[in-house]
Amino acid sequence: MTPVHFSFSSAFILGLMGLTFHRTHLLSALLCLEGMMLSLFIALALWTLQFEMTGFSAAPMLLLAFSACEASAGLALLVATARTHGTDRLQNLNLLQC
Amino acid sequence: MHLTTLILSSSLILVIAILIYPLLTTLNPNPQDQKWAITHVKTSVKAAFLMSLLPLMIFLDQGTETIITNWHWMNTTPFDINISFKFDHYSIIFTPIALYVTWSILEFASWYMHSDPLMNRFFKYLLLFLVAMILLVSANNMFQLFIGWEGVGIMSFLLIGWWYGRADANTAALQAVLYNRVGDIGLIMAMAWLAMNLNSWEIQQIFFLSKNFDMTLPLIGLILAATGKSAQFGLHPWLPSAMEGPTPVSALLHSSTMVVAGIFLLIRLHPLMENNNIALTTCLCLGALTTLFTAACALTQNDIKKIVAFSTSSQLGLMMVTIGLNQPQLAFLHICTHAFFKAMLFLCSGSIIHSLNDEQDIRKMGGLQNLMPMTSTCLTIGSLALTGTPFLAGFFSKDAIIEALNTSHLNAWALILTLIATSFTAVYSFRVVYFVTMGTPRFLPLSPINENNPSVINPIKRLAWGSIIAGLIITSNFLPSKTPIMSMPLTLKLAALLVTIIGLLTALELTTMTNKQFKITPTIPLHHFSNMLGYFPAIIHRLTPKLNLSLGQSIATQLIDQTWFEATGPKGVSSLQVKMAKTVSDAQQGMIKTYLTIFLLTTTIAILLTMI
Repeated sequence: MTPVHFSFSSAFILGLMGLTFHRTHLLSALLCLEGMMLSLFIALALWTLQFEMTGFSAAPMLLLAFSACEASAGLALLVATARTHGTDRLQNLNLLQC
Repeated sequence: MHLTTLILSSSLILVIAILIYPLLTTLNPNPQDQKWAITHVKTSVKAAFLMSLLPLMIFLDQGTETIITNWHWMNTTPFDINISFKFDHYSIIFTPIALYVTWSILEFASWYMHSDPLMNRFFKYLLLFLVAMILLVSANNMFQLFIGWEGVGIMSFLLIGWWYGRADANTAALQAVLYNRVGDIGLIMAMAWLAMNLNSWEIQQIFFLSKNFDMTLPLIGLILAATGKSAQFGLHPWLPSAMEGPTPVSALLHSSTMVVAGIFLLIRLHPLMENNNIALTTCLCLGALTTLFTAACALTQNDIKKIVAFSTSSQLGLMMVTIGLNQPQLAFLHICTHAFFKAMLFLCSGSIIHSLNDEQDIRKMGGLQNLMPMTSTCLTIGSLALTGTPFLAGFFSKDAIIEALNTSHLNAWALILTLIATSFTAVYSFRVVYFVTMGTPRFLPLSPINENNPSVINPIKRLAWGSIIAGLIITSNFLPSKTPIMSMPLTLKLAALLVTIIGLLTALELTTMTNKQFKITPTIPLHHFSNMLGYFPAIIHRLTPKLNLSLGQSIATQLIDQTWFEATGPKGVSSLQVKMAKTVSDAQQGMIKTYLTIFLLTTTIAILLTMI
């Protein structure tokens, strides 16, 4: 595989592993999510350049717009968690489990 | 131009100009002097009266009628509106009578209202009312008539609420406007129908074009308008309440001129109604019901002005009956004669009220025959004219109406009601005369009784002359267009007189019982029915608004707030989502790290499986 291909794929997989293995803060999961989105953005932009499909140029922008929405939804959930549980630390989320 | 028509037209226009001149002097920014009301307004009405005698004489001599079209006011493409005056025999005869009565009332008002600081404004309102009334009776198209109609309605509101510090007066003025408005719906509907179907508001064109149409709908509208303005049953409570205004207002508006506007409208547009049996029957039955109901209400009232107001309402019902009998000229004759004696009754009441220091309850008057001889004599003359005593003014119109009713082949029920109402007229008239003038005084000793001022006595005397001879003069100069039936059995011929005498004898008998009490607590349901005006205002004025307001409240609270907003709207959506979220989140225990790790493992295994 080409180096560029390898770089954004590994960025994606590393971001995914960061999302799943985050230890203390919920915020770090959201940051890794952003990183995944960024790598997908680069992938789409390179797709357009590689295959020279000018009609596909709008796709990265679309992805960016929707990732912004999703990021704001994630932040809203963060704020809601912080309001109900006090912090965003993951230990607090199942503290009252019986 | 021919001399006759020149004099006729110029004097009629001059009459209106003379009446408008004092109103124009009020546009002057400097305030008028104290005597403006007497020097300008009363003089102009007197001059207008004398001026209007000229067309009257020309009409009586040669029978000339005229239509004066002055100014093309506005038009849409198919529709014109002009300023156009019609002086046919109705308006030529009515205008001098209205001006004569108004002149007398203004002279009386200069005594009655002389302690009022706003007397000039009062006279201005009365003059404005008079101009609107003259516009109404001389209108040749519906638009001008509507202007006059609304004008008299508004001036009635302003004048009834003259003493606006009194809450009852404000309520009465509002009542007058609201009931008149309901009638105006009918008038506007008729005007809209005429504009759409006959494409004209000119009366001559309407008469000519209406032969091909079924006129029931506009006629019902016009009858509704007359019901509102002339206080027929159903829209009648405003007239007794209108007695809150000063006595000159009651004398001018609510006895002689404004309340006959509805009847006058029906008389003017009578050719539309001649062949329409539905409209005629409606007029007949409505008029008969009105006359009996209001006469019954008048029997137990204790306020002298209210008794006279109910008697006005009863006579208006009689005029409506006459229209239903297809006799517009008799109705007009009754309008003219009724103006004289009713205005005089009100002026006498006003003189009595002021002399007894604003006492209006007849149970607290008495023995005024010796203390106020002129006023009580004229009160008696007016009451006799009202009941139809032979050869006074009321006799010529009332007796002719009852004869026409007796010899017609129409509704016997209406006939019986009218005869009973005629006998009631005698009863309550005698009751007024008995309580006010006869017996011993029941008022306070130090009452400022005087009849010294000529401003009080001259108008009453003038109207008394009118009440005596007006009937004779008008009938001898009037050519009836429908031949009256002259031959009928003796009982029918004397029917009106007989029922009146029966009523009078019954009332005389009842006076011997006024000072005897048979039971300690008498049960008198009929008295209560009559005294509370048939419970009509008590029910309608409270029940209908209460139903409307509670309907509004239940719409706002239950329909909008509770149903749309909470159950089906935003709050309903959110409550549904919360329920679903709670159900779903029961399954999630909050072990995020474990969930995400399992997710990654599953994805890795799936990818590895596809690669193998």
